[in-house]
Amino acid sequence: MTVDEAPPGTPVLEMAGISKTFPGVKALDDAGLTVRPGEVHGLVGENGAGKSTIIKVLAGIYAPDSGTMRVDGEELAHVTPAAVRSRGIRFVHQELQLVPTFSVTESVFMGAELVGPLGVRRREMRTRAERILEEVLGTAIDGRRLIRDLGPAERKLVQIARALVQEGPRLVVFDEPTAPLAAAEGERVLSAIRRLRDQGIASLYVSHYLGEITEICDRATVFRNGTDVSVVDPIVESSGRELIRRMIGRDVDQLFPERKNRADRRDEGDGENGQDRDARGDGIALSARGLGDGATFADVSIDVARGEIVGLTGLLGSGTAEVVDTVVGLRRHRTGSIRIAGRDSGIASPADALEAGLVLIPRDRRHDGLVLEQSVETNLNLSTLGRASRLGLLSSKLLASRSDGLIQKLDIRPADRTATTRLLSGGNQQKVVLGRALAADAGILVLDDPTVGVDIGAKQEIYRLVAGLADEGAAVLIASNDPLEVLGLCDRIVVMVRGRVVLDVPASDLTQEELISHMTGSAAGDPTADARTAAPASAPASADTAIADRADGSAS
Amino acid sequence: MSTDTTTRPSAGPFATESTGARVLRFAIRRGPLILFAAVCVYLALASPFFLTQANILSSLEQTAPIAVVAFGLAIVVIGGGDDVVSGGIDLSLPASAALATVILSDQLTNRGAGLPQAFLLALLAALVVGLVNAVLVTVVGLSAILATLATYVAVVGVTRVVSENRRIDVTDPAILYIRDEELLGLPVAVWIMLLVFAVVAFLVHRTRYGMNLQATGGNLDAARSAGIRTTRIVASTFVLASVAAAVAGVLLVARGSGSSPGIDERLLVDMMLATFIGAAFSPRNVVNVLGAMLGATFVALLSNGLVLTRVNNSWIDGWKGVLILIVVAAAALQHRERK
Repeated sequence: MTVDEAPPGTPVLEMAGISKTFPGVKALDDAGLTVRPGEVHGLVGENGAGKSTIIKVLAGIYAPDSGTMRVDGEELAHVTPAAVRSRGIRFVHQELQLVPTFSVTESVFMGAELVGPLGVRRREMRTRAERILEEVLGTAIDGRRLIRDLGPAERKLVQIARALVQEGPRLVVFDEPTAPLAAAEGERVLSAIRRLRDQGIASLYVSHYLGEITEICDRATVFRNGTDVSVVDPIVESSGRELIRRMIGRDVDQLFPERKNRADRRDEGDGENGQDRDARGDGIALSARGLGDGATFADVSIDVARGEIVGLTGLLGSGTAEVVDTVVGLRRHRTGSIRIAGRDSGIASPADALEAGLVLIPRDRRHDGLVLEQSVETNLNLSTLGRASRLGLLSSKLLASRSDGLIQKLDIRPADRTATTRLLSGGNQQKVVLGRALAADAGILVLDDPTVGVDIGAKQEIYRLVAGLADEGAAVLIASNDPLEVLGLCDRIVVMVRGRVVLDVPASDLTQEELISHMTGSAAGDPTADARTAAPASAPASADTAIADRADGSAS
Repeated sequence: MSTDTTTRPSAGPFATESTGARVLRFAIRRGPLILFAAVCVYLALASPFFLTQANILSSLEQTAPIAVVAFGLAIVVIGGGDDVVSGGIDLSLPASAALATVILSDQLTNRGAGLPQAFLLALLAALVVGLVNAVLVTVVGLSAILATLATYVAVVGVTRVVSENRRIDVTDPAILYIRDEELLGLPVAVWIMLLVFAVVAFLVHRTRYGMNLQATGGNLDAARSAGIRTTRIVASTFVLASVAAAVAGVLLVARGSGSSPGIDERLLVDMMLATFIGAAFSPRNVVNVLGAMLGATFVALLSNGLVLTRVNNSWIDGWKGVLILIVVAAAALQHRERK
């Protein structure tokens, strides 16, 4: 932990002019990041803003196309994982990168074991591991306990201890360290980070939970569209609103279709909560009550009426994906019930769901949604082969006419039913998935992150199609962690934080800032947020004029 | 600490576990062990000879070659992970061992070579098989189970060609010494097994290589991000295992006073049983070296007991097949639980 001859005030980390292009995407564009010695520095931005890319550049995983990186004032010529590590930069990854059957000691020293003439020095390793956990991180954990027997916060602390075990940590990079933790557990991790600061070790704190950023960070860099748009200095309790404003800063009005029913719905929906709607019960196509799976979410209630688009949103890991899987029968629920058109659904698989008139458009179309090597025609008819058959045999004429109709309706390009699906663009592939759902004439559509990896033009068309379906009377449930998408498209928004529903309101009642502050746990009254970080973000979403507006960057 | 069920890795903030689930988890973890204990108790009751000293010593001698190949398999499984489908496995080990017996017997009996030279050649052959496996798995990217199934079949074919599918008797004094002599009341073959055990156990549990090996098998991504050269580790497991197969070849020649065709089939069954049942002996419930040796002992006692109770020879394989199924299914269930 020796501080070298660098003059006082030299940043521990200084990245400047970093650009990185992937095929088709400029992930980083002249981005910079500066961390001062011993500070806790926040890194925030929406999905796709470039946070994880710059972290990977810093870690030596991605080689940047241009730019420089200095550690303690000294430029690193070759940024490799080993070079970064030896300069005292350590990473605590979001995933719990631990071996379940390892002991705490073995996990802390993984890849850096102490070895003597009689083999690994177990006792010395154990003493040191326990000392780091207790003295540096403030938690006493027996070094002999197994990872699989630890709670999630303890596991995270073990992971942090691993970052500190080698000599001379200067900067620890935390990537969403509290994501898998409940609020009280997260506090243990935060207090460990504070202790690091007390000992002069800087932290770079990457998180979507703005409540945590305002709680522990000294300064924060905001990323948007692949570059650093501003540094908020200093961070105070009320900085949440400013962070959100700088994260968004763009114009998206023309992206979303005008819903013809939406205005009426807005009027009648105002002031109603889920319970009233349930009591009335009219037109509710899909109703989940008190749903829980015993692990990732609990007590989730959602109603979707015919002609309505409901957005289910939350940060990654908030449980929205699991809820959707449960609704369509990919996952079992332990508590609660799912009713379709007022009857218990009894859905245990996507095939049951289809029969009940509910169709899923999965998040990963390449793996879950399409048979890529087959033709567009095959994929379009995959769920409904029975309807394209005569006397139990597939009719090629029916197959062709059904798929031609869908290709026309969805404007799938190329308009060729024999084309191999793999050769279509991402947006057109997603349309094929949508078309297959349309072919099933399902009354209820469940879309899981429908526009991931889809370009902006196709996005617009998908929004138009979904809105059109709702206008024709379909009930639509969309899970998405893009706040813009749910605000622009949905009639009603259900927000989940750490496995629980924290908000269920008409979309018209929310501004983008309010929605994000609810999602990120920085809103007042949010049970999982700390009261002291309350930042009621109610200012209009007007962009900071100092911040250049760019075309859409919300694609994740 | 072995049966601590307070938290599960996958448990989120809302995790609960019923008593029924706990009992089930215990049954999955320790089931194979309980099963084997029950079988042994049955055999002890059914045959008065089962628990005699002579029978136990001869069972231990039977154990030696099984244990040594099981050590090899244990290394591969520890480094490759215990996922039954995509994890580490080396089905070709018994074939390599059988090939080693043929080369040893041929050299000792037909070519007049001494044991060191014969062993060197057998080791070389086994190493070639191990290297091929390593390349298939780490360079070509085949799953271990497919790659080693292919090499198993190929090596069995080569063995048949070399031996002309005939038995070769061996009367080499060194081999007879291993077969017949005792040191401090234990057969020499058992001492060899214990020696190999000590070396492998030290390697796996006390060296840096061993820790990295366990990390690689336990969580490949975690190991890689901790800076461990995982590809090299996985490749090395197949090579080390092939050395074990060659040593097992010596013990097999001693046990059978030569090489006989078809020896690989039973060895395959015994090796799988011994290695995977071994996991049930460890508090962490993972495949390990001591477990493999205890597992091999169990398997030898079982074979021996089934013979003593006059179970038809053909049925023995049937029974073992069922046991393998149970043990491997338990491993798969456990793996799923850990996810």
